[in-house]
Amino acid sequence: MIYLDHAAATPVSKKALKAMEPYFSDDFFNPSAAYLPAKKVAADYENAKNVIAHAIGAKGTDIVITAGATEANNLAFSFLDKGSVLYLETEHDSVRKVAESYGGQPIGVDKNGRILIDDLKAKMTDDVMLVSVALCNNEIGTIQPLSEIAAYLREVKMDRLARGVKRPVYLHSDASQAMNLLNVNIARLGVDLLTINSAKVYGPKGVGALYVSRDVKLSPVTLGGGQEKGLRSGTENVPGVIGFSVAVNEAYEHLNGNRKKYAELKRILLSELEGYELVNKKHTLDNFVVICYNGIDAERLIFLLEDKGVYVSTGAACAASKGVKSHVLKAIGLSDSEIAGSLRLTLGETNTKEQIHEAARLINEAANIERRRNG
Amino acid sequence: MDSFLELALRGKSPSLTNSKKLSISPHNPSELALRGTKPTVFVGMSGGVDSSASALLLKQQGYNVKGIYMKNWSKDLPGMKCPWAEDLADAKRVAVKLGIDFEVWDFEKEYYEKVVEYMISEFKAGNTPNPDVMCNQEIKFKLFYEKAMERGADFIATGHYARVSEFEPAFPSSGLKFSSTSYTGTRTEPSLRDEPVRSVRNIRVENSNQIYDSGKAGSNSPMLMMAVDQSKDQTYFLYRISDEALSRTIFPIGGMLKKDVKKFAQENGLHNAYKKESMGVCFVGEVGMRDFLKEYIDIAPGEIQEIETGKVVGHHEGAVFYTIGQRHGLYISGNVGEINTGLPYYVVKKDLKNNIVYVSRDLNNANIWTDELKLKDIIVRDYGGKPVSDVLVRLRHLGQLMPAKLDGDTLRFEQKIKRPASGQSAVFYQDEVCLGGGIII
Repeated sequence: MIYLDHAAATPVSKKALKAMEPYFSDDFFNPSAAYLPAKKVAADYENAKNVIAHAIGAKGTDIVITAGATEANNLAFSFLDKGSVLYLETEHDSVRKVAESYGGQPIGVDKNGRILIDDLKAKMTDDVMLVSVALCNNEIGTIQPLSEIAAYLREVKMDRLARGVKRPVYLHSDASQAMNLLNVNIARLGVDLLTINSAKVYGPKGVGALYVSRDVKLSPVTLGGGQEKGLRSGTENVPGVIGFSVAVNEAYEHLNGNRKKYAELKRILLSELEGYELVNKKHTLDNFVVICYNGIDAERLIFLLEDKGVYVSTGAACAASKGVKSHVLKAIGLSDSEIAGSLRLTLGETNTKEQIHEAARLINEAANIERRRNG
Repeated sequence: MDSFLELALRGKSPSLTNSKKLSISPHNPSELALRGTKPTVFVGMSGGVDSSASALLLKQQGYNVKGIYMKNWSKDLPGMKCPWAEDLADAKRVAVKLGIDFEVWDFEKEYYEKVVEYMISEFKAGNTPNPDVMCNQEIKFKLFYEKAMERGADFIATGHYARVSEFEPAFPSSGLKFSSTSYTGTRTEPSLRDEPVRSVRNIRVENSNQIYDSGKAGSNSPMLMMAVDQSKDQTYFLYRISDEALSRTIFPIGGMLKKDVKKFAQENGLHNAYKKESMGVCFVGEVGMRDFLKEYIDIAPGEIQEIETGKVVGHHEGAVFYTIGQRHGLYISGNVGEINTGLPYYVVKKDLKNNIVYVSRDLNNANIWTDELKLKDIIVRDYGGKPVSDVLVRLRHLGQLMPAKLDGDTLRFEQKIKRPASGQSAVFYQDEVCLGGGIII
């Protein structure tokens, strides 16, 4: 198997899996229970939260654990009024759909998928309370200049105060795809809300977290026993959070090594593949390779390659399964036929150089089969 | 693999081993064969095993095959999800593995207008329509057929369990007789096997350079025939399709047993051989028809009365949601002091005007039984100008075949039958030929 879809899911690391095990059986207690063994579990849980929070430069008490990034993104919008949000038009559906439900306005991107700051400025009004821009795009890996956006929002705040406008404005970012390759730090990015995701950093699925700065007053999406400071009721997912913390730590430790490794694998891939155009040329994560075969239906390549044990994707896994054309590729100006011909290859820990040579050969072969069929 | 291909070609008929195998008018090759080009067939691919196997068979038989996924309307609300995206991916995966072209044709709007709206309005009128019959008539064998022809198809094909034969009027006096080549083999009526009068469309010569059309479309009337696998026969849903479409339709698996289709798919690495069979109407999904209808028709509480006594035994959510013969979903509570007979109530009559549903426990209630049905929108396929009067009638998919006489718009049954709901179809057969049918009033 050659897995080239690490943006869709990552395997749980051995260390993380091992760390989780006891919390399914021996240490299964409800952290809210009164007796000592339960209190020990509660302490382990809080420690794990601290580890996760430290990785982004926050404290454990600043993050809310959720059942994945989608839920974290939903929670991040929970304090808004109608029409008070701006979001990047290339956001993942878990931001886009929520923003749309609040009557949000999309901000445009350039051909590399980077935010058009002027468009953000043009759409900024005193009604806007939240701007949501993902740190890295999930389809093409574009890295956004978040600190630049944060600096602009500080100007907006100051201008509002000078005019006696009390309404605050916050910055939210979904950093789900970023933590394997970037040092994600809330202070440096200047965000007020940040979503992170265990499933993309070799931790278990169904666990995510939202960093919430103290200024932001969220409304809980789920009510109940008051866990997570009342913002996310429900018995704590102890093994999930333990696994997440171990995975986050590993990602942090491997950061520099990963960058070198992926840059090299990407170089091999791009030099050995034939007859393609690179879609994500600039400002992109090193493990994202999006290529376009004009005139070929890339979805057919997925099915040809799966027979050879090579797993690739045409875009966001969720979007592809709904049969919807990628809004991201459209936003960066690709034509319908270019979108149909685009393949997303995302590299990860499971990949070796040998695999990448082999993958390039098999992808070339599949593309040739389709070219011949088209005549 | 070859053995399965042969099975498909032969329709599993033991008589095929004899020399009549090539009674498929080899002396009368079609213009297509004369042109020396491979005939093009557009096959409707749903992602299921039947249409996947159909596409594979056609490819093996030497056709130029194009796979088409028909996207129909589906209600996409939380909790009401039609799995079309998965089906589409399954269909495409098979097309890619077969190396054939594949397209998605969007009939969503047309499907909504022709099938869904029709269905809702029929329910509102107190009837119980069959959307599958309507879908075949209006979408698969009309819009799909027409578009395929426009796009240069010689034939269309689907994965239905049914067969098509063509009537050759050169033998008008011999009545209903068929080419022995496709005859089911499950019955033995030697007289029907002797004289090859009809040739059967879904039987083809496998050599790709020698595909013979079984007859000239247009000059002969096509006949819709039951599938060889009678436990899967789908002619009940197909009786309303036009002669024109039928004459250009191939049902590649109509001559095969379901289990052989599955085995064939497995042996050829079609992943969907293991797929769960889709049941019921896609756009209604898993929630069931009544819950689907509630999205469109307001609930109107009314009384459920026992028909014999007029006693109110419960309340319902609106008479339109109920179907004659229905036993489930009735909100009937037992009365204090009454002995539970253990017999269920079922719906015997609906009074839409007063919104009353009548029920009975009496299986012999006169409202349930009848020996006569009035029909509308009757279709009878011409098979040589012979009047159709003695027919076998099927009142539901795979229902029992019951002898009856068709007299104008009235069906008279030899024995009393349980009255079907209005809006359902009564479909006529003679032997294995599906002659047509009508909508029950």
